[in-house]
Amino acid sequence: MAFFGAVLNTVGALFLTHAVYSAHEHTTAFVSTPLPLDITLELLLGVFILSTGIVVSADKLKPIQYAKWAGQISREGRKPEGKYTREGEEILGEGDPYAFLGLDGGIGGKGEGRRGFWDVKGKRKEYDEWVRGKQ
Amino acid sequence: MATVDERELQINPIVATSVQHNTQVTSNIRNLTASLFGVAAGTLGLESYPGFIFYLIASFVVSALLFALKAEGQPGKYYYKPLGDMWLGDVFGGLSGFVLTWTLFYGLVRA
Repeated sequence: MAFFGAVLNTVGALFLTHAVYSAHEHTTAFVSTPLPLDITLELLLGVFILSTGIVVSADKLKPIQYAKWAGQISREGRKPEGKYTREGEEILGEGDPYAFLGLDGGIGGKGEGRRGFWDVKGKRKEYDEWVRGKQ
Repeated sequence: MATVDERELQINPIVATSVQHNTQVTSNIRNLTASLFGVAAGTLGLESYPGFIFYLIASFVVSALLFALKAEGQPGKYYYKPLGDMWLGDVFGGLSGFVLTWTLFYGLVRA
């Protein structure tokens, strides 16, 4: 997407520069006559392409609702921002805000954290059957 | 008694850093494109009201681009108040940059 934006910006800037140059030449040659249609069209096209390029190459927006924001982060994980510190360490984007609740979280590390869904009724039924089997 | 809005925010909280980031991106786009429209308006030789009307129409086009390319058709996901923050967000903040390049290019190309 960044490459596409750069292409749009370059093409748009070329069109715009050419159109402005043509308009300048036209007004110096024929003072106080209206601008020819092709220059006007080229100018508008150049501005449109350039503004599309600016919008495309801008940063991605982030979801503002907490649930969607956190969901996106936990789905996509920590992503490098493509920047490095002077010591050569990668700068990471926002991480999963609920990582400390996961299985790897908690005090001891492995398996100490909160589990996801745990089927209490199913486990109780299993236990009942096991007890009945014993008798 | 909490209002309906407050309750809604308690159930679905808003991430302040995301709002800040989105506002910054929108404001950047607005400022850059506003100076561009100034170049166009000055080169076309617009004067007085037509120039401002040109700016409003071009800003609307950029809003439509924001809606389609940046917000992916769901402005409610990225802006707290889509009408004020996306469609009209920072339109008048870019106006000074517009007038600056408008007068400059009018003077360079037309006068």
